[in-house]
Amino acid sequence: MPPSLTARHPTTADPRPRTPKTWPLAAALTIALLAALTAAVSWGSTSIPPAEVWAVVGRRLSGEGVRPGTDDLIVWQLRVPRALLAALVGAGLGLVGTAVQALVRNPLADPYLLGISSGASLGAVGAIVLGAGAGGVLGIGLSGAAFAGALVTFALVWAVARRGGGFAPLRLVLAGVAVGQFLSGFTSYLVLQAGDEQQTHSVLFWLMGSLSGASWPLLAVPAAVVPAALLLLQARARALNALLMGDETAAGLGVDVVALRRELFVVTSVLTGVLVAVSGAIGFVGLMVPHACRLVVGGDHRRLLPVSALFGAVLLVVVDIVCRTALDTQELPVGVVTSLIGAPALLFLLDRRLGSGS
Amino acid sequence: MRVDIEDLDVAYAGRTVVSGVGLLAADGEIAGLVGPNGSGKSTVLRTVYRHLRPVAGRVLLDGTDLRELSPARAARHVAALPQERGGDFELTVREVVAMGRTPYKRAFAADDAGDRDTVARALAEVGMAEQSGRRFSALSGGERQRVLLARAFAQDPDVLVLDEPTNHLDVRHQVDLLALLRAARRTTLVSLHDLNAAASVCDRLHVLHAGSVVASGPPREVLTPALLADVFGVRAAVVEHPLTGDPLIAFDHREPVPQGHGANPAASGARSHSVEAGRPQGARSHSVEARRPRSQGSE
Repeated sequence: MPPSLTARHPTTADPRPRTPKTWPLAAALTIALLAALTAAVSWGSTSIPPAEVWAVVGRRLSGEGVRPGTDDLIVWQLRVPRALLAALVGAGLGLVGTAVQALVRNPLADPYLLGISSGASLGAVGAIVLGAGAGGVLGIGLSGAAFAGALVTFALVWAVARRGGGFAPLRLVLAGVAVGQFLSGFTSYLVLQAGDEQQTHSVLFWLMGSLSGASWPLLAVPAAVVPAALLLLQARARALNALLMGDETAAGLGVDVVALRRELFVVTSVLTGVLVAVSGAIGFVGLMVPHACRLVVGGDHRRLLPVSALFGAVLLVVVDIVCRTALDTQELPVGVVTSLIGAPALLFLLDRRLGSGS
Repeated sequence: MRVDIEDLDVAYAGRTVVSGVGLLAADGEIAGLVGPNGSGKSTVLRTVYRHLRPVAGRVLLDGTDLRELSPARAARHVAALPQERGGDFELTVREVVAMGRTPYKRAFAADDAGDRDTVARALAEVGMAEQSGRRFSALSGGERQRVLLARAFAQDPDVLVLDEPTNHLDVRHQVDLLALLRAARRTTLVSLHDLNAAASVCDRLHVLHAGSVVASGPPREVLTPALLADVFGVRAAVVEHPLTGDPLIAFDHREPVPQGHGANPAASGARSHSVEAGRPQGARSHSVEARRPRSQGSE
């Protein structure tokens, strides 16, 4: 006879507030995203009323034709692609952060931990300094170089992490950090070597993250990769949950751990490469978004993945509005603002969590 | 469901850790794996829940080779409670238990009423139903083990595999957990450090030493003073438990068996501090199946 056990364990207060229902939350975030996108297109050096924003978008989408005038051009050619790029990059960073944190089983891990972004940065900086980026600071040539850098780094980290077999979390992190630092050294050297002041400035600006290169053609790759990554990760949501408990637990639950790690590594690498290629190195979003979302919806990836993607999108759209409008004279790099907002927010969250007792 | 392990060789990081292991758990039986640290208990169990792939040998479930099943299908038969603790990821007790449904679900499939029912029953079975909304990482050690056992139950397995489930638990929580295991009435493979716990809850014991099975059989036949001296290097008397009648091992905690002296006569029960109703169990030799360990690894 098993003894009655409940009697000896008085029910203690749930340290986490009741998990909100997923669908209302997702709906609220979607509405917030639409509002943020509208605001992003509406606000700027030229203020355009939200109604006019949607009118332009409606005309463009219905193929009704273009009404001559600068508003149309500003909305459709400049601000809409930029707002959409912000949303895609934000969603991608939220996803990649969630995936890396499960991959290395550490809730404070960061996409940059795997070194991929350092490789992408090196590729991009190399392109700028060596002249391939002549057609504009964020031309396609630069994106291509960044992506190539990401892939080469990915292969390198992969090879180092694979030595001795398996994809142990610690080995991945160490390989990523070591390779990342190595490449960062090269990047710094290239920045110092940059010939003129203008070049140095554009390199540094890019390294701090920027969405100013947004254009319709630039949107194509992230618009395909980010939703694909969400679908793929969402399909593995249960396996990701199991992985949080440990490799042995996951194996016991019927998860092919080695194959899952390999998949996650590929997905996070490709995603990071794509994101860095279009937006530079934007820190803190990948770390903070999953962490914050976890505090609200809990650790179950079936909820966490879509919520992180949505929240990341909203966050980066809002941050980019700040970047464009905070200073009259120049734009702020996105990475500067995400760090300024992200670090205190993270400290606040940690403090609150420790305060709630565990 | 019956589990047979045949001629199992397992290498870890290029080193053979387990060789030629054969053992079994009959249908509905609790089979215990005991042995000193590093004897290969966990390694054997890890191959059963497919964390490790054996170099040679087979694990059979009612005669079917485990490796012929897909990972998910195997996990519907075998549920594991490994020794790992997991990270702090804001998972609730219910979410941890619901993981037990993983091998039954396709990609994108939500939990249905049947899953929720299974999870609720598993939580109730271990007495954690009222704690289901708590954060898993905020639980005490005893509560955690019960929740992990509930997760294994939610997997609706034919075979439970538990690696040192009573480690780090106080004695009351050990008794609670072992009582739950007995009440579950499933084929169980469990490694245990506490030989007295093993003697009272297991129907069958397999003693491992240096990566090999050196004795198998019912606890009272296997746990002899000579074996305890040989395998564990301790002096002990085996008497009858005054309350339960199970074999009770009274260790001499003052001095070990001298190195290199296998069957020390002094350790074979001659000097037992006799308990009133007890008499030393077993003869001087090991049970019928007892074998000397093969080559001695560095332990």
